[in-house]
Amino acid sequence: MQFDAITTLNAAAFDAMVVQANGPVAVEFMSYGCAYCRALEPVLQRAAEVVQAEEKIFRVNIAVEPGLAESYDIQGTPTLVMFRDGSETGRVEGPPPVLADILAYVTQPA
Amino acid sequence: MSTAEAAHGKPILLFDDECGVCRFIARQVRKAAGNPATATLIIQPIGADPQALRSINPGLDIWAAYATIHVVMPDGTMKLGGEAVAEVLRRLAATAWLAGVFSIKIFGARPFQSMLNMAYTILADVRPLFGCESCGAPAGWLRPFAWLIQSAKPLFGAPRPVPRPPHFSRRKTKEASASF
Repeated sequence: MQFDAITTLNAAAFDAMVVQANGPVAVEFMSYGCAYCRALEPVLQRAAEVVQAEEKIFRVNIAVEPGLAESYDIQGTPTLVMFRDGSETGRVEGPPPVLADILAYVTQPA
Repeated sequence: MSTAEAAHGKPILLFDDECGVCRFIARQVRKAAGNPATATLIIQPIGADPQALRSINPGLDIWAAYATIHVVMPDGTMKLGGEAVAEVLRRLAATAWLAGVFSIKIFGARPFQSMLNMAYTILADVRPLFGCESCGAPAGWLRPFAWLIQSAKPLFGAPRPVPRPPHFSRRKTKEASASF
């Protein structure tokens, strides 16, 4: 991958970039070994480029940050969790790797 | 190459440590390779750190590494899929004799290597049938077999499959891991 439009967060960065953030933020809880995450990745990259002016999309690798996965009750990967002003506003487990669907999820109103 | 492994001049076999089938095969290869100090091959899990992988080889992408077996050669080149399998066989004392056939050319083609490539593709496709959730959904041609296996499980006393959303790999909790 040449350019990564999605920043990977650790627990400390998650607090700063998601919990204390203003406005909408989407976080993909993922794992590199998950084939569904691999299928979703190019679509999510494209979505991140499309919404970058209004919204940030981040990823959390649950293999590295199991504590965050526990905190947010992540049952599997990929799980897309939407936040607004630091509070969860919605989530989708196993989103289909379709750009229109991903854009609808990450831009859904609170 | 910038890692300590490169200094030893040994190829590095990267395996998917989230896939049970891959872990089993890696265990067998490790056993066949013998003492790590004298083995002609380094066997290591892909792991979860894209930067660490790039330190082995700047061209190594973690998504690609999980998608297909990779062998990183000491000269920085990479062998993938069936070519990687042939390289592993070539490096093991017990199978080095067999690996020679994959280099045989007939009219410019390498038929045995092509057969190995196909065998690798089939094995990669079949992995989800062995319960590897991280390997994704079974390929189209395997779905009837996957359906049969799922349907037959209750007959043998196994619990019925839990309905779950598509495109989703269930996370392994400590409790779940302990039960296997």
